[in-house]
Amino acid sequence: MTKIILDGREVEADPKKPLIAACHQHAAHVPMYCYHPGLSPVGSCRICQVEVKQGEMPARVTVACRTPVAEGMIVNTEAPKAHEARRQCLEFLLKNHPLDCPICDKAGECDLQDYSFAEGQGQGRSVEPRRKLEKRKSLGDVIVLDQERCILYSRCVRFFEEIPKKAQLTVAGLGSRSYITTFADRPLEGNYQGNVADICPVGALTLKEFRFQARVWNLTKAPSTCGECSRGCSITVEVLRRQEVKRLRPRPNPQVNRYWMCDHGRFSFDGLNTPGRLAGALVRGTRGLEPLEPHTALDALANLMRVHGAPLVVASPWLTQEEGKLLAALAGEATFVSPPPSALKDDLLHTGDPCPNRRGLSELGFAPLAAAEALTKLAGQGFALLVGERIGALLGREALATLPAGLRLVVLDTHPLDVPASELELGVPNAVERTGTWLNVDGIEGRLSIARSAPPGVAPLTRTLEELARRATPAEAAR
Amino acid sequence: MTRETYLLSRTALPNSHTLDVYRAHGGYRALEKILKGGYTPAQVIQLVKDSGLRGRGGAGFSTGLKWSFMPDPAKDPRPRYLAVNADESEPGTCKDRVLMEKDPHGLVEGVLIACFAMRVQAAYIYVRGEYRLPHDRVAAAVAEARKAGLVGKNILGTDFSCEIFMHKGAGAYICGEETGLMESLEGKRGHPRPKPPFPAGFGLWGQPTTVNNVETLQNVPFVIDRGPDWFKTMGTPKSPGNVLVGISGHVERPGVYEVPLGLSARTLLEEYAGGIWKGRKLKAWIPGGSSTGLLPASAIDVKMDHDGLREAGSMLGTVSMIFLDETACTVRAMKVISRFYDHESCGQCSQCREGTQWLAQIFARLEHGQGRMEDIELLSSLANGMAPAKTICALADAAAIPTHAIVKNFRAELEAHVTHKGCPLADAHAPHELEEAHA
Repeated sequence: MTKIILDGREVEADPKKPLIAACHQHAAHVPMYCYHPGLSPVGSCRICQVEVKQGEMPARVTVACRTPVAEGMIVNTEAPKAHEARRQCLEFLLKNHPLDCPICDKAGECDLQDYSFAEGQGQGRSVEPRRKLEKRKSLGDVIVLDQERCILYSRCVRFFEEIPKKAQLTVAGLGSRSYITTFADRPLEGNYQGNVADICPVGALTLKEFRFQARVWNLTKAPSTCGECSRGCSITVEVLRRQEVKRLRPRPNPQVNRYWMCDHGRFSFDGLNTPGRLAGALVRGTRGLEPLEPHTALDALANLMRVHGAPLVVASPWLTQEEGKLLAALAGEATFVSPPPSALKDDLLHTGDPCPNRRGLSELGFAPLAAAEALTKLAGQGFALLVGERIGALLGREALATLPAGLRLVVLDTHPLDVPASELELGVPNAVERTGTWLNVDGIEGRLSIARSAPPGVAPLTRTLEELARRATPAEAAR
Repeated sequence: MTRETYLLSRTALPNSHTLDVYRAHGGYRALEKILKGGYTPAQVIQLVKDSGLRGRGGAGFSTGLKWSFMPDPAKDPRPRYLAVNADESEPGTCKDRVLMEKDPHGLVEGVLIACFAMRVQAAYIYVRGEYRLPHDRVAAAVAEARKAGLVGKNILGTDFSCEIFMHKGAGAYICGEETGLMESLEGKRGHPRPKPPFPAGFGLWGQPTTVNNVETLQNVPFVIDRGPDWFKTMGTPKSPGNVLVGISGHVERPGVYEVPLGLSARTLLEEYAGGIWKGRKLKAWIPGGSSTGLLPASAIDVKMDHDGLREAGSMLGTVSMIFLDETACTVRAMKVISRFYDHESCGQCSQCREGTQWLAQIFARLEHGQGRMEDIELLSSLANGMAPAKTICALADAAAIPTHAIVKNFRAELEAHVTHKGCPLADAHAPHELEEAHA
């Protein structure tokens, strides 16, 4: 570590990283456009100007992203000359920018907008016509490019070169006639396109999926973990007006996903928004499944356990460690459904294993079963529990419908299953409605947190299982 | 008065570009001297340092010192390169072209000596795309020299080997910037690289590299052959040797002249270029290529060397002088110059990409009658935002310096363009010029 003086404080800086990284690490606000901590620095936007004094040389204003840290370097991010250089840089940036913030999806989380408010001048001095370029150029299935908003800092170009290591975008043209485009106008491809919308410092690259869907200040955000493969990328779940999940975005995590996530995970939120949730509980009556108070349902389930003994548990691989531990204690035999590997496996993030908590459940003693194996096993049972989100879908509703009616089947899922064998059904929260921990493929913990509340009558699965354990234990033992 | 010349001493000879003529007039004597005379690379670098030779590409950095920045091969065994900057493209500059067309072997010999001194085994000569004849002449000279055992393996029977490769640019001004040139040589877009790292440590393909201008290298055989003491008899103590001056514009005898540094601009204009044409008066002049800015006629007695021009608020640059007579419009000149920099900015840095366009738009408005008084302050303010040293390379500076210069030296003419709602000199323009201006 190298010691530098940053805004009057002595701080430690990593000599392998540029000065701007030390500024950010120590909460000195230095704006950036071309610099991204996950990409190589190019030093082209010139916005990260700070004043640096080294040894006997006079203080100079320079870009922090291309300045190596040196022992004893004195850095002043608030120097008037640095502010002035940043203000001038912003004025040039806004000269051709369309200033269409009111209709721009990036507004509210746009670096150009934010720094213009923080450092820019109130009024533009340009009377020249603004650059006219393509406003909505489709770059494939995922991304739309607005070339007028683009400020040409090539994060997107470098992303494809450096992360999936397959260059797809480039800067074409020269000088003020430059623009971003794909090679030979081909559409973008691959499982990592969505990342360029995250790293675009302005609203030039936007997700087709998110375009005109929400103003970002109406989104509430919760840190969470992606459940689409056993990598368990750290993500932020963004919910519109506390109801619909609108966007999943990667959250920096140097151990797991750095700054990125795949498109498969990014666009996996449809299932989280599917209507028709199982709120409360259902019990099979004379006219099919009928609503039931959840606590009555728990009593009924506890009763079944007292009569039939510990059930076969077929769990969803989306169960958390906390849930798995409680469930294993109740189970006669603990298994989880292990779907076939995904073809999306790559050497970047996607592991090809669709089970986010395979490692954790295995460590808790759950045995992996293919869906067909699980169904065969279920058919020979007297009493079984299907537990966790997506469990019905994993086993297949049609296949479950063929289970003998003699099987006492209890289902704990997010949506009603309603197959002849199911006798009791209880709603559970999905991945954005509960807290908990998954262990990823490398044994690293990924935390879930509550991004929106579960439907009424749906308690956290951990609480349900605790209640169940309390009720199923013989009264004498409890006393 | 006669002044000694050497750079152009062979150019008037018939077939000066051939090996036979070159050899008959002392060619490859310097190379033979160092290879067969037992010189070490360090001694050659010392000779060049002692001569005080400064780079002729515009920056005027000490050539010997630059060579000495190359790492010691005993400590750093990486391959190393020499890149020759023959991408001469600053408006007004045409000196390297004469050398390459008329004296290509002089360049080849200079390259070989430089490679020997820096222990480089491969040199790349980057010629601008428009320079077809210069490229072909140098390529032919390299082929001739290779046949004669002067390029390739075991040059002149010694253990010194050196390859020379030719490369044609595609006509981008920015590829004359040394790091842009290296990117272009690598096959990428000519986007200049931020420094540090410097080319001597991390240049072509990440290896130690030195970039030298054609005219600089053409000086080297003379320095070796005749010695540093002879070299210092010409020019000024700080800028010894002769330079090639390209004189263009409204003069009687435009052309490339070899002069010692330190003469006054008036001497160059009157003695060499024959004064302003058609008996007219001098109005404005550019001392060193379009990026050095317009100076007023009153500055014509300035001493033409690095320090003299700095005192006059300008730069020696590539010593390419452009003279404008009294009928010319300086605003129109700036319209053309600023449009050039807008066209040639690589587009990486905000200040340059947007600033060069903005300046060009303002000068065009002023010239065509849509100027506002506040535009004059805006020009200064924008130029202040673009330079100095605010961008990766000096192209933004190249656009900002002439902008400052016109506001300082020709403010009245800018104001006249605003009050007159257009160019007050328009009536004096030849009809074809007017058509072009309004196109």
